[in-house]
Amino acid sequence: MTKILLVEDNEMNRDMLSRRLLRRGYEVIMAMDGQMGLEMAQSESPDIVLMDMSLPILDGWEATRCLKAGAETKAIPVIALTAHAMSSDREKALEAGCDDYDTKPIELTRLLAKIELLTGAKQS
Amino acid sequence: MTELPPHIQEKVQHALPSDLIHDLRTPLGHILGYAELLKEQAEEAGDSQYQPFIHKIQFAAEQLLGMLNENFRATKRT
Repeated sequence: MTKILLVEDNEMNRDMLSRRLLRRGYEVIMAMDGQMGLEMAQSESPDIVLMDMSLPILDGWEATRCLKAGAETKAIPVIALTAHAMSSDREKALEAGCDDYDTKPIELTRLLAKIELLTGAKQS
Repeated sequence: MTELPPHIQEKVQHALPSDLIHDLRTPLGHILGYAELLKEQAEEAGDSQYQPFIHKIQFAAEQLLGMLNENFRATKRT
């Protein structure tokens, strides 16, 4: 089963997206800020990280830079999730080391296609 | 995406503050996401009586999202 680490500070976003992913057969673990996300990526070895970028303590860009600089975590794919639709946000996320980028509100079919592409795993 | 009526098309050409657009998109995402969850669970339960109402919630939320996206696009912030 593909394990997804969802790093998101908004409680309703976490609840809603985790429920939708669980229904698709994914295992979902969650962190509420960038620092917690970084620690969980190290301790839980997820198959992929869904990273909100506007996060407290350590923002998503910095957390992704740290993930991609760590020997144990650099191979974990990261998809940036932001509420903005500006092309500069996409560039900024990719520069931080994110493997892909998606905007909120989440279109689940589009996000699942990106998850499957980056993990090589298709869930039910 | 839901097409906007012409009278609304004209109104959304006036720029809204980008932080307001961000603040509006977040709860809108919650409405759309939970409506989709409701739809899926009602379908699985074989319950069709709520489907028309869920569809109306989705249509209204997508229309609102369309207005925000059009405002964002029209004011060249993409």
